[in-house]
Amino acid sequence: MIGTGIKRGTAELAVLSVLEGGAMHGYEMARRIERQTKGALRFTLAALYPMLYRMEQHGWIRGAWETSSNGRRKRCYRLTPAGRKKLSPLRREWAELFRALQRLTKVAHA
Amino acid sequence: MPNWQELVRQRLSGLALDAAEKDEIHAELAAHLEESYEVFCKEGLPQREAVQRTLVQVADWQDLQRKILIARRREQPMQKRVHQLWIPGFLTLTLSMIFLITLQKLGFQPRIVGSGPNTILFYAPWLASLPFFGALGAYLSAWGGGLLGTVLLASVFPVLALTAAFLLMFPIGFVIERIIGSPVDFSIVATAILRDGIGWILVPGVALLAGGFLVQLLFNRRSLSKETAIG
Repeated sequence: MIGTGIKRGTAELAVLSVLEGGAMHGYEMARRIERQTKGALRFTLAALYPMLYRMEQHGWIRGAWETSSNGRRKRCYRLTPAGRKKLSPLRREWAELFRALQRLTKVAHA
Repeated sequence: MPNWQELVRQRLSGLALDAAEKDEIHAELAAHLEESYEVFCKEGLPQREAVQRTLVQVADWQDLQRKILIARRREQPMQKRVHQLWIPGFLTLTLSMIFLITLQKLGFQPRIVGSGPNTILFYAPWLASLPFFGALGAYLSAWGGGLLGTVLLASVFPVLALTAAFLLMFPIGFVIERIIGSPVDFSIVATAILRDGIGWILVPGVALLAGGFLVQLLFNRRSLSKETAIG
């Protein structure tokens, strides 16, 4: 069953997936997503932070202030066990959506 | 280079959060803008253009402020329970009791089933109204974001309250009888529990639950159609 809120789902899946590779701060996350999707997914500050805060409220990620090597303080986010648990059904849901769309487009072109 | 911290502080001055939380958000967003600006500068953009490209990330600061507030708003578990169970439940209980009292005042006679001490009283119009009250409780609970269990609990809330009243009534009666010294016949108590349990708890409970289930089905169907429509 494909869940509600496709846009939100895409963004959440992207964030959870990049955080699976390790902790990172918001800007780095946005850059990583943009690079890894070859620019197909872009997060502006206005789109990213409300989502990060919401995901933090859900307990999927956890943010903590850290000081980088250049002495700057940055809030780094980590995946929580709840976030890891959320990731696999989300991936399944998206795979299902893509399969459904592929079937649909094949039918449309047949 | 602009003072990003000050810029964010000014633009998000209306964030209705506690001071420490607000400062954290200002600092985090300012750090993001600063890093973004520095990357643009490193890419060779002139300072003015780098500032513009950085600020383009937030088209509407008021909207961002509103979204942050929504995301950060914490609904305490107690508040959730109030919205999803207590308010719908008490409303269902109050309205159903008012309706029952009104029927009694209007002179509606109960239907009597059985004979002697085993008679059970059924107020047919009241029982007929209970699916609607159950549906109302379930609707309000589901509207407040209640899950299946909470929705059904809210719909049968009047009988839960009656059960609690019965459970309290019997030990209190037992204590009073002990004090005044008259012996308690437990067979009478058991019969009364069974009789009143059927007339005031079991049958009304089924009627309320029927309404609750109906609403739950409708809500499920609605969310299913939303899912199929893909947002």
